[in-house]
Amino acid sequence: MDLTYSPEDRAFREKTRRWLDVNVPKDDAKTLGERKAWHRRLYEAGYVGMLWPKAYGGWEATPMQQAIVQDEMARAGAPPAINGLGIGFIGPTIIVHGTDWQKQRYLKTMLTAEEIWCQLYSEPNAGSDLASLTTRADDQGDHFRVNGQKIWTSSGPIADWGLLLARTDSKAPKHKGISCFLLNMRQPGVEVRPLKQITGSSLFSEVFMTDARAETRDLVGSLNQGWAIAQTTLGYERGANSLGRVTRYAIAFSQLVRATKELRRGGRPLLEDPVVRAKLGKIYAELEVQRYAALRVLSSLQKGESPGPASSITKLSYTEFEKRYFELALEILGPWGQLIAARDEFEEVDTSSGEPGTWATAFLWSRAGTIYSGSSEIQKNIIGERVLGLPKEVRADRLKA
Amino acid sequence: MDFAFSPDQQLLKNSARAFLDEHMTPAAVRLLWDDPRGESEATWKEMAQLGWLGLSLPEAYGGSALGMVESAILLEEMGRAACPGPYFPTVLAARAIEEAGSDAQKKRWLSPIATGDARATIAFLDADLDWRPDAIQTRAETTAGGWALSGRKQFVPWAHVASVLLVPAKTPDGLTLFLVDPGAAGLTLEPAQMMDPATRLASVTLEGTPVTGAAVLGKPGQAGPLLKALLSRGAVGAAAEMLGAARRCLDMAVGYAKVREQFGQPIGSFQAIRHKCAEMLLEVENSHAAVYYAAWALDAKAEDHDLAASVAKAYVGDAARRVCGEAIQVHGGIGFTWEYDLHLYVKRAKALEAMYGDADYHRELIVRRVAA
Repeated sequence: MDLTYSPEDRAFREKTRRWLDVNVPKDDAKTLGERKAWHRRLYEAGYVGMLWPKAYGGWEATPMQQAIVQDEMARAGAPPAINGLGIGFIGPTIIVHGTDWQKQRYLKTMLTAEEIWCQLYSEPNAGSDLASLTTRADDQGDHFRVNGQKIWTSSGPIADWGLLLARTDSKAPKHKGISCFLLNMRQPGVEVRPLKQITGSSLFSEVFMTDARAETRDLVGSLNQGWAIAQTTLGYERGANSLGRVTRYAIAFSQLVRATKELRRGGRPLLEDPVVRAKLGKIYAELEVQRYAALRVLSSLQKGESPGPASSITKLSYTEFEKRYFELALEILGPWGQLIAARDEFEEVDTSSGEPGTWATAFLWSRAGTIYSGSSEIQKNIIGERVLGLPKEVRADRLKA
Repeated sequence: MDFAFSPDQQLLKNSARAFLDEHMTPAAVRLLWDDPRGESEATWKEMAQLGWLGLSLPEAYGGSALGMVESAILLEEMGRAACPGPYFPTVLAARAIEEAGSDAQKKRWLSPIATGDARATIAFLDADLDWRPDAIQTRAETTAGGWALSGRKQFVPWAHVASVLLVPAKTPDGLTLFLVDPGAAGLTLEPAQMMDPATRLASVTLEGTPVTGAAVLGKPGQAGPLLKALLSRGAVGAAAEMLGAARRCLDMAVGYAKVREQFGQPIGSFQAIRHKCAEMLLEVENSHAAVYYAAWALDAKAEDHDLAASVAKAYVGDAARRVCGEAIQVHGGIGFTWEYDLHLYVKRAKALEAMYGDADYHRELIVRRVAA
């Protein structure tokens, strides 16, 4: 056991920090054009697609280096790269399951964010039970005709392409009649409607497909193998944000401490209140434990080990922590914590979404983490069944199948 | 960077597991519950032969000069077995003697500790139960032959079997650490009966107890920083033991949930039980990260080693309490019986929660470090 960073990783961190010092845009990249330009510079510097094979335009760096880059970007307050779902998940899916034509056509422009990708998975009636999805793709010979509705699509309005799960065999058991397609989002049959969340912003959309066209050459893997493809866990971005996430929490903690020195209650700064101190101590302990756990995961990834279902523990741990964290911050800050519009005398905080905002925005966003990418309840099922080996539950849909 | 144990560390863990599985079965632990000394001389000698007692002592005194990570590995296994005995108080006291002792003091105590011929303990707590060294009220006054100690120490671990007590006391020079013979005049031991029958604590009353000048450990007035360092080490050690006890409780709960049937199926198939077990695993794994990060930080003298020790004690104390409590809940009625072994581990974790500073105490230390 040795938790010191290697000389190579320390040197890499230094180099990254110097690059960011010089290159981070002075004004936040706001327009899509500015964000694409910033993404392009990150890519050319070797900071995007870090774990992708070189053959597809990646850099074949190590998980630790990738985590260091995200950590340094958090520290520098750098705008994030875009196309995260594409580079983290959809691209690797194409690399593993796609045809040579698909790889040639889609991968490079995905890395450079010349084309933006979204994921078309969840439906209004298929959330945790994703395999019950009803969007249909009917074989028309040279293409499939797609009809249905998707929801919780991030980057919907700016997306050029989507990774679509649709039913191609309505008679087969529900897990066995689903196929995976690459869908052109820029076509008349695809309508994207922004979805306003409880934060007031619209980072997600609903997507309506009415006789939309998915080309046969854009089928990923074989017909009716879509569920298996969607279940493949791909390691390209695993642990990428582990350090950066904790650094963001730590930056927010310093801001919280500053606020408790400035805000007063009962004639003294909040920081002198023993109840506030106990809360700060508790949340800081949890924050540090998140950091130690991140180092543990990274050290295992460095050795090429795959965490498998144990990655559910990581996801459950940090998303539940994040809820407790911002709940506690709002308890401490009182009405100041509920400002949804920034005020000059009270500083803003880095929210988990990458969307700038107030403590209230961060608090609201923290509710999303335990729902998306497999809710906490689904993670606990996975941990119970596949890590602890507890018996499967009796489920109505398993009885029927 | 490698968070996993080295092959040697893994070997130590495996051999500790094998030894304790054989010698510290639940039945063996229960026998010691009813033993007036509360520990097994034979097991103690075997631990010495295995090199456990000298694990972190210098080689010159028969030790192996290993670090806190190795100690934590052993302590986790001892917690997992709810192994009774003065192991941790002794090695912690040995650490104090190694750090601050004269050559004569080291020779007198360290070799016998490594061979299993001496036991030692530190009397941290005064009557007002404040773990801060500054709060110690026990006094030492100079006499013709040395010093006279007066005060009341509370909840001193395994004082009734100790060959030597390490007693911090206030002198005109400041806080000073004394090596005190438990049989000295004016010293009374009063054992306390605790909820965990394997945790033996006693109050130690000193009424003008005489000690010679040679009993001073380190320089007079310089004991404060040493005691703080020992408390950090104590916190990490206790966290490691709690981790072991909590993991045992989790393993027992999961094992039970797989075989106990109600409504015609194993209770582990119900989400109400399965989700509880998943939450318990999460807290146990995070506790593992906290314990071994802190142990490594002490060994590496990392900048944040005291902070990490407080984080580990605060986090694991809370986590172990929840995990052990939920283990009883998963078991239902059987988990509430004296006959079933779960409470061996539940009570061990609970006892350690209060030692070397509880979670509230360490949370305050954390805030002092990060919100100054």
